[in-house]
Amino acid sequence: MDAKSNKLIDELVEPTRIHKSVYTDSSIFELEMERIWGQAWIFIGHESQIPESGDFFTTNINHREPVLMIRDKEDCIHVLHNRCAHKGAKIVEERNGNVRGALRCGYHGWTYNFDGSILNIPNEEGYKDTGFDVKGSCNNLQPLAQSDCYRGFVFATLSSSTPPLKEWLGGAIECIDNLCDRAPEGEVELAGGILRYDHPCNWKFILENLNDTMHPMVVHQSIVQAAEDYIKTLPEEATEHRSEAEIIPPFGASYTNFENSGITGFPFGHHYDGGKTSIHADYTVFPAYHEAMMQAYGEERTREIYSFNTHNVLYYPSLTIKCAIQNIRVIRPISVDRFVVESWSFRLKGAPEEMLQRTVLYSRLINSSMGMVGPDDLEVYRRMQEGLVSSGSDWIEYHRQYGRDKELGDRVVGGGTSDLDMRTQFGAWKNYMTGNL
Amino acid sequence: MSAHNLQEIESFLYLESSYLDQPDLDKWVDLFTEDGKYWMPASETQKDPLNHVSHIYDDRVMMEIRRRNFVHPRSSSKNHLTRCSHIIGNIQINSGENVDEINVTSNMHVIVWYREEQQIYAARCKHILLKQEEKFKIRLKRVDLINPEAPQKSLVVYL
Ligand code: FES
Ligand SMILES: [Fe+2]
Repeated sequence: MDAKSNKLIDELVEPTRIHKSVYTDSSIFELEMERIWGQAWIFIGHESQIPESGDFFTTNINHREPVLMIRDKEDCIHVLHNRCAHKGAKIVEERNGNVRGALRCGYHGWTYNFDGSILNIPNEEGYKDTGFDVKGSCNNLQPLAQSDCYRGFVFATLSSSTPPLKEWLGGAIECIDNLCDRAPEGEVELAGGILRYDHPCNWKFILENLNDTMHPMVVHQSIVQAAEDYIKTLPEEATEHRSEAEIIPPFGASYTNFENSGITGFPFGHHYDGGKTSIHADYTVFPAYHEAMMQAYGEERTREIYSFNTHNVLYYPSLTIKCAIQNIRVIRPISVDRFVVESWSFRLKGAPEEMLQRTVLYSRLINSSMGMVGPDDLEVYRRMQEGLVSSGSDWIEYHRQYGRDKELGDRVVGGGTSDLDMRTQFGAWKNYMTGNL
Repeated sequence: MSAHNLQEIESFLYLESSYLDQPDLDKWVDLFTEDGKYWMPASETQKDPLNHVSHIYDDRVMMEIRRRNFVHPRSSSKNHLTRCSHIIGNIQINSGENVDEINVTSNMHVIVWYREEQQIYAARCKHILLKQEEKFKIRLKRVDLINPEAPQKSLVVYL
């Protein structure tokens, strides 16, 4: 893109308002795929999904490019383009599984080692004296420009000029740490399956909503009331051991509560709300879990781990995590007005089973397409997608607490009901989109 | 469980699905036993509703909350007219694990009209029924979608 186009893009995002085409124009979506999703570190998967040599998991790094995460015989994890070096057929079609021996293309039978290097080309004799180098590295399954893993979370990027993963995660890395540190063994593993939820709207809406703390008391008012009204009619014993009774009501928390949770932003669009407190802060600490934590870390460190209580953490643009609930949501864009959200649950290694059960319960209650919270959120995203077609205005606004954000070392902090999350995301959006990495 | 004839059970399943067609969740929830559950697993051959995520796994308490939310004027996802059409077939009666239980399997096709769109669901259903005071009650309704792992659209009613 030339400088003029960059200027046009630049003009779409002002300090306190955004042009609607950012959500509705498919040519902007294509540019986002190239410049944001093609440059940022994208969450691929978790190493616990592929514990054995030859185990693999496939996904798309943006809405179109198929990638393959596979563990080799030396226990290294590779993120490869899922594309045969011969005529381009996808090498692996399944979502996950195990290959024995070698990867084999289903078209002409070229085979590859698990690190992507070419193993064998059938009837090789036909290439003799053709100028084709049978052993050439261009015949390998090509690795992504960069891939790396942090505490089991595997990321990759299509760009070789993006800063290394740890630098890119920056100060926000403390949230992945907190998620893993909540395991007595300091590690998490994928467990309990993945929910996939089709969202017929622009992918940015969900990211902008997760720390939009001005919406829960409106959008989720009905479920909070329905739950509270019914729970009131029950004897106390009926609900005191039910996590639902702890999970649903905080969605109706007051403006003051949300304001006090605060929002913290970082470079590259990462941010979280909460920290000292969040809607998850008052969950029961199960005695068996507490005991396992105390044994592993001692009193002081255990308290410290619990006390860092975030609500939603965003690693812009593909990954959002909930440390206190051990649940992540993964964003997979499809088109300007469609994306899929995957909801993954993690087991804290060394924790009793009730922890995973609460994670799983949270996912189905809140994140499921048939849940009590997700459909109401999607409903308002769809109303925006439909409303933005209107010629009544070309802009959406995000002024809340503008000018009040405070820089604090590697981060920017502000009120929990501010639009700091929007400023953080759109600062990064602009940088990616105009080549200012 | 030969004492229960197919026709009697068919009629009950048709009645149940007619409540969901409208949908009248108040009448529908009353068809469940006090310990009744509605389960829609999120993966094929899922054995465990607690350690593995499901699309829905509701006991009576959650059904009571859901039916109140369904008619709440401020539940935005329910602002849209919702109508369903259930077709049930291939009904088979199997002996239950407990003597008092009747285990019924069936195929179910449902078209849901929601947000100006018709959505199609196909599922294998399992009902565990009890007879209480000459009436059938549902102890479990398990709905196994043929595509439980595919991305699903919002669904605001039970199937
Ligand atoms: S396309 Fe893969 S071997 Fe030909
Ligand atoms: Fe929400």
